[in-house]
Amino acid sequence: MKALINAEVAIQAAVSAATNYADIVTDRDPDDGEHVVPGELRRFLARLRLLHGVPFSYLVPDATLLPIESIRFFYIDRAWTDALVQGALSVGTISSADRTQLEAVYPHIRAEVDEAERTIRQPRGEALLKAGSGTITGFILRSRAVSGWPNLHVRAYSRDVVADDALTTAAESDPSRMKVLRMERLAPAVLLVLFDGVPAVVHIEEPRQGIQFGVRIDPDGPPNQRRVKVRDCNTGDPVPPEKGFTTTNSVEVPFRPNAPGVINMAALRTRLAAKAPNSGGTLEPNEYALQMLRFPFRQVFGDPDNQTESERSYALDQFKAKVALTTWKGTVATSLAKVNP
Amino acid sequence: MPKTGHFILHSNVMPPVTAGRYELVTEQVDLPFDVEPEHTHVQIAAPRYTMPTDQILSSFPPANAEGAFGDRLPQVVLKRRTLPWERNPAGLVQPSATPWLALVVVAEGEATLSTATAVRDCVTAGTTLLDPDDKDVEQGLYLAVTETVVKKIFPCQDDLPLLAHVREVDVNDTELANGDDDGWLAVVLANRLPVFDDAAGKAVRYMACLVNLEGQLEALPKPLPPVASFEFALAQDWRVLASASPGGGPDVQVLGNAQLGNVVLPAAGLQGQRPPGAAGAAFAAAGAAQAKPVVSIDGAAKMAQPPVGKQWSSATQQVAAVALDPDAKRLVRDTMAQGFRLPIEAYAIEKVLRFPVLAHWSFTTNEGATFEKLMQQLDVGLLGSVAEAPPNTPAAGARPEVVQTGHIGLGHRTRRGDPVQAWYRGPCVPFPTARDSTSKDEPLALAHSADQLRRVIPDGREDLALAAAFEIGRLLALSQLSVVSALLRFRGEQFGAGRVREVLAQLLPFELPSLKGERVDMGRFVALEVLNVLSKNTDRMIGPRRPVADPGRPLRVSGDLDQVIATGLGFDLAALRKRADAVGVLSALEQTSVPVALKPGQAPNEKLVVSALQAALQGELQRTLGVAAPRVPGVVPGVVPGVVIRGARGRATTPPPDALDALIAGAPADDDEEDRS
Repeated sequence: MKALINAEVAIQAAVSAATNYADIVTDRDPDDGEHVVPGELRRFLARLRLLHGVPFSYLVPDATLLPIESIRFFYIDRAWTDALVQGALSVGTISSADRTQLEAVYPHIRAEVDEAERTIRQPRGEALLKAGSGTITGFILRSRAVSGWPNLHVRAYSRDVVADDALTTAAESDPSRMKVLRMERLAPAVLLVLFDGVPAVVHIEEPRQGIQFGVRIDPDGPPNQRRVKVRDCNTGDPVPPEKGFTTTNSVEVPFRPNAPGVINMAALRTRLAAKAPNSGGTLEPNEYALQMLRFPFRQVFGDPDNQTESERSYALDQFKAKVALTTWKGTVATSLAKVNP
Repeated sequence: MPKTGHFILHSNVMPPVTAGRYELVTEQVDLPFDVEPEHTHVQIAAPRYTMPTDQILSSFPPANAEGAFGDRLPQVVLKRRTLPWERNPAGLVQPSATPWLALVVVAEGEATLSTATAVRDCVTAGTTLLDPDDKDVEQGLYLAVTETVVKKIFPCQDDLPLLAHVREVDVNDTELANGDDDGWLAVVLANRLPVFDDAAGKAVRYMACLVNLEGQLEALPKPLPPVASFEFALAQDWRVLASASPGGGPDVQVLGNAQLGNVVLPAAGLQGQRPPGAAGAAFAAAGAAQAKPVVSIDGAAKMAQPPVGKQWSSATQQVAAVALDPDAKRLVRDTMAQGFRLPIEAYAIEKVLRFPVLAHWSFTTNEGATFEKLMQQLDVGLLGSVAEAPPNTPAAGARPEVVQTGHIGLGHRTRRGDPVQAWYRGPCVPFPTARDSTSKDEPLALAHSADQLRRVIPDGREDLALAAAFEIGRLLALSQLSVVSALLRFRGEQFGAGRVREVLAQLLPFELPSLKGERVDMGRFVALEVLNVLSKNTDRMIGPRRPVADPGRPLRVSGDLDQVIATGLGFDLAALRKRADAVGVLSALEQTSVPVALKPGQAPNEKLVVSALQAALQGELQRTLGVAAPRVPGVVPGVVPGVVIRGARGRATTPPPDALDALIAGAPADDDEEDRS
């Protein structure tokens, strides 16, 4: 048995240690499995891969690349993000042995960070998806729509399965739906979204903060007038024609004179009652509310069936009242009579 | 219940009775004797001056939001379906289809939201309320508005039923139900679109107030012939009060001799003279100039000011009321009401009405573009492409040098100081790129410094994209101490552990465990290794082995062995020996009978058994009695001698005590007994 560690032994040990122990498992998480790279480091590198913290001028080097009111789709250059990760890993590599060791362990780091990228954003109640690396795409939206409508819904589909005007959506873990890796407002009016894959269709939808009531601006009409589209009182269907504003499918909103934006509700009711089918000449408050309903808009990017620009936006007001209102009135009256005899 | 994604609209849900105090009189008739009627007092409670926060499910536009809300009616969703009809705004007891709640939207400068005030002062003076003592809180807020503003923006009486309805939704539908419990929601709408100030191009801050209209239906405006369009103008602009901060601090304001300088206040009746079609901003200035009774508060002119004493008392009341508020609540309210706290009441000439505010929130309407319009007008493209400039436009600023690969030419100063152009491309590229290049002259798989990633492309210029990425990644990692320490710890754990193992492998005579499988507990490993070595060299390291079995203990027998055995078994050895001489030892032993107490299967001798059992029984009985009744002398004689009767000493001569005596004497004696045991 040798009594001392001499320099030869130490150097030999360092050389073989640098290359032979790259796959030692250092992180054993019962929820996350066994990994070579510790969890905190893995998550930091994955966030780096998703461009967290990267200055915006590195993403968009010139303002002309992202003009006001524009959306720019892109692919992520994986070589660029790999260089980013390599830069982070170069911290603290002092000696050649350190660098040799880093080279030996780098394939493990790269593979595990590829997997960790998908777990950075985990919506509640969705299954955790795990897979290796793939193409990452995304878009940057610079628009007043971002600042004015916080909590926009962004959904990407690998196949165009959801009808453009469907009220419902597929769940986030649905196979046809692309996982959103990152969705963040970088500035009040700039939204960055990254998708896990190349989407066929992207939907951007107005936030659904409860169903609202409102009026419409006729794009061809004067800016200080408003119109309301008429719906059938029995079915809730909009009166044709669906596109545009005509005297048959909409009425002019009456305003109170000398008052900014105050609607003359009673006069509007009379006008709607005269125009809406099956109104019976007058509108009850609930029928009136039916006429005033407004649904969120959905902008569809990438559907090849949509030829013109205006076809890509849909008002989601295709709901159907399945039971006639008169029938429901009866049901409610009887059930109320039971509650309050 | 409606299907998910569907909902049902109801005009209203009327409560059978309105809120208030009721007396229920129960009378019995047709009885042969008189029965006093029974009076039961019932109070039906409902919010009146404040809306409990758990009754408000959602509001639109969201509080403190900023957006183009100009074509949506503000609304508030209430949890209890009957809430808007639980009081009669006309001041009657019967329920009415006209809701008592209205959502009023005021722009900044049109009205004042009070601080916490005693509820009797929250309504316009002179309003008669049904049962004024019915109040849910002691202090509430009120909205102070001039009659002109009420005429312009408050809903007409006919509008009120249209502005409230009930929605029935599926409770499980989070988007519609918002966490309601029964799926029935009452919705109160505003009648005013929070429009954007097109003329001035400014964002407008609005406050939505859920007000109580009880007793003040008469103050609401009468319907006017409708017009087809509107223009933005404040119904009345009191914002000058905010800009004119009187010198001298709050004392002067409270005392009422404020110097407002040259500030011109809007006067009553002025809006009637408004020229049709005038832009709002122009009107505000021009209208004020035309106004005849220009009220300038300069101390000399006649002032429409309440007496000092009145101001003082209301101010102290307000201060006291504010002091009662928990601090956080006050801060939030103050922030929300910023811009709506102008002292209109102190300066307005015309009548100022007060409406109790049950809930309020503010939001800002900015430019008029709707979501639909914005999204349709978006410029869609791939990042890294620049739209072609129209040919005739003058070159406004240098256009960046962008090529089809998405690279952009940027100024670059080399380390020697030469100004050159270099190429840069961010992580977002307009076409899919290869992650790992296969060509030979590509950089290494792993770069250790940024310079390794600098590339010269065929046109002679440098491509610094990856070098810049490397450098920013390094800086981002260095900027977080936790990341640096995690990196070093990771390296120490892998590289350090490997190195220690390699050194030990050369020094130690035995095989080290593999680090690649399960985690190794070094202490345990060493212990096992030591045991292993010990077991291989037992003689040298531990000592000789212990024999398998111990030798038996020698028996000590005194005298003749045969005699001892015979005595032990109880037979006569001499007789046996005699017989053995005659018939041999074995048959002699066979013929000798050994006394046996009880043969197998033989019934025991009854006499013996009975007497033994009796003795045992008696003994047990005495023992039990000795424990249970130690002092009863009648039992004592049976006690086995030697057993001490505890607690009975010195009492043998006393007459036999009865049960009561025993009980009385028992307690201390028991304690005594326990002490001794």
